[in-house]
Amino acid sequence: MKTKKKTKWELFRKQGALQVFVWMGMIYLIIFNLIPMFGIIMGFKDYSITSGVKGIFTSPWVGMKWFREFVTDYKFGTLVRNTVMLSVLKLIFTFPLPILFALMINEIHNYPFKKILQTCSYLPHFISWVIISSISYQFLSQSGIINTLLQALHLTSKPIGFLTEASKFWGLAVFLDVWKEMGWWTIIFLAAITGISQDYYEAAEIDGASRLQKIWYITLPCIKSTIVVVLIMTMGNLFGGGLSGSNFEQCYLLGNSVNAATSDIIQTYVFDVGLSQGRYAYATAVGLIQSVISLILIFVSNFVSKKLTSQGLF
Amino acid sequence: MARTKSKRRRSREDRIMDTIIYILSIIILFMTVYPFYYVFMLSFNEGIDASLGGIYWFPRKFTLSNYSRFFDDVKWLQALGVSVLRTLVGTGLGVAFTTLVAYALSFKDLVGRKAYMTFVIFCMYFSGGIIPYYTLLRTLHLIDTFAVYVIPGMLSLFYITIGRTFFEGIPSALRESAKIDGATELKVFTRIIVPISKPFMATLALFIGVGHWNNWYDSTFFVKTKSLRTLPYLMMEIVHQFQTSSSTNMNAAAHQTSGTTSLSIQLAAMVVSVVPIIFIYPFLQKYFVTGMMVGAVKE
Repeated sequence: MKTKKKTKWELFRKQGALQVFVWMGMIYLIIFNLIPMFGIIMGFKDYSITSGVKGIFTSPWVGMKWFREFVTDYKFGTLVRNTVMLSVLKLIFTFPLPILFALMINEIHNYPFKKILQTCSYLPHFISWVIISSISYQFLSQSGIINTLLQALHLTSKPIGFLTEASKFWGLAVFLDVWKEMGWWTIIFLAAITGISQDYYEAAEIDGASRLQKIWYITLPCIKSTIVVVLIMTMGNLFGGGLSGSNFEQCYLLGNSVNAATSDIIQTYVFDVGLSQGRYAYATAVGLIQSVISLILIFVSNFVSKKLTSQGLF
Repeated sequence: MARTKSKRRRSREDRIMDTIIYILSIIILFMTVYPFYYVFMLSFNEGIDASLGGIYWFPRKFTLSNYSRFFDDVKWLQALGVSVLRTLVGTGLGVAFTTLVAYALSFKDLVGRKAYMTFVIFCMYFSGGIIPYYTLLRTLHLIDTFAVYVIPGMLSLFYITIGRTFFEGIPSALRESAKIDGATELKVFTRIIVPISKPFMATLALFIGVGHWNNWYDSTFFVKTKSLRTLPYLMMEIVHQFQTSSSTNMNAAAHQTSGTTSLSIQLAAMVVSVVPIIFIYPFLQKYFVTGMMVGAVKE
């Protein structure tokens, strides 16, 4: 026992330089990730920024006061509904569409065309939401190109307020998310499809399987494990906006006073009351509610997935 | 006989499926590319004229005034400078730090490796939320400084996990032979590991770089000094102006002398910030498929 400990210590000393590298990283993480976690206690205290860092520990406990205040706030219902609806709609659309798109790309046998389609479809992923909101303004505003076109074709008599009507916001957000990220998430499914052995397809061909049958009976079952992993990842960040985690950026950039009824979500509310109004303790508590729900979701989806498919993230 | 029959049946299905697939593909391709083309084309059109609408394929009144106003305006130039600087410094620091930590963690016999990795994964999934984070930045006096752009994001946990997997693939014999020749750990890293890890580090640099270049968020919430604003921040500000004002008000902001509007200068700004991404795209593309795969599937 003793000798084992000693050798471990010797090994540690031999690894001096490596341990220094690692510890630089660990200290960095302790400062920027671990310490803020202790800041969560602000959510249970009567903390104000004027009392400084020390105040986080010295200010009086108020228990669940801020949580009660949030739950009884007149905005509570709207915020929860918007957060949940937007997230669920994104799950429904942004998760399956990349799979379908990957299956479709895989069926294209003209190599240059396939390559061009793929390359172009990734591009929006690298463009920031700021630019995408500017582009959507160009296209979707009252005098934008889409409304001009719709009016010219007599499909609508009045311009449609895609960006200004509360009833349009969820559709807009989901559409833009699909537009931006579909190609990117296709990569992962296409890579999985490429890994499938050609033997299966040849055998199916001999049995007279049609192309759709090959997709249904070979391709989909073979990429099932990839689909499950991506689904867990999506579930884990469900209330952040799924795979791309775009809820906050979209609601902050495309939300305005006119569509606030559907574009106000918990995350934007936290920023608003916390950073703009300076109600730190209250905002911490509100943010904590969302984090806890997200954590539960990660563990539940991981657990369910492990039970059903013996696969999980951890 | 049977063969020709099945072939004919297959070819009919082929025709129908291929037609659907190609029509869909062309629609998707058009929807992806056209918005970028439209912005690019319209940025060369006179602003006031553009606000009348009806331009779809080519500029109607060609002008470079949107760009000349962009590059004449101290506000835009300063923001461009800050964005370039933060991208360079932030990428350099981020790549160096992340690579170093990932490299050290790739050693199988590293004492405490499991504990370190558990802590990294823990930090990846848990956070204190934005308000405690903001309080921390205040305490460290990072708020309203240039450092807030480059210091807080210096260690990317996601890329640590990818990098570790990458470095694990390097045969240990390479390192050991250098050590027998008397090289120190740091020398092994800089002389042997870095040169053979160029593809990985390039990927890392490109991803971290794009992240810095596109970031509007920290400039919005953590910085107040006007001269420290970034390019995405200024564009965000204009997006918010669109949101709050109706489209007719936008024309009121027109500059009669040059024919530009804040909308048309925004177009120039958008092109300026998208062009570098399209420029590095061919280099990026070679790597990001593998880069993404390792991280997403292995974890």
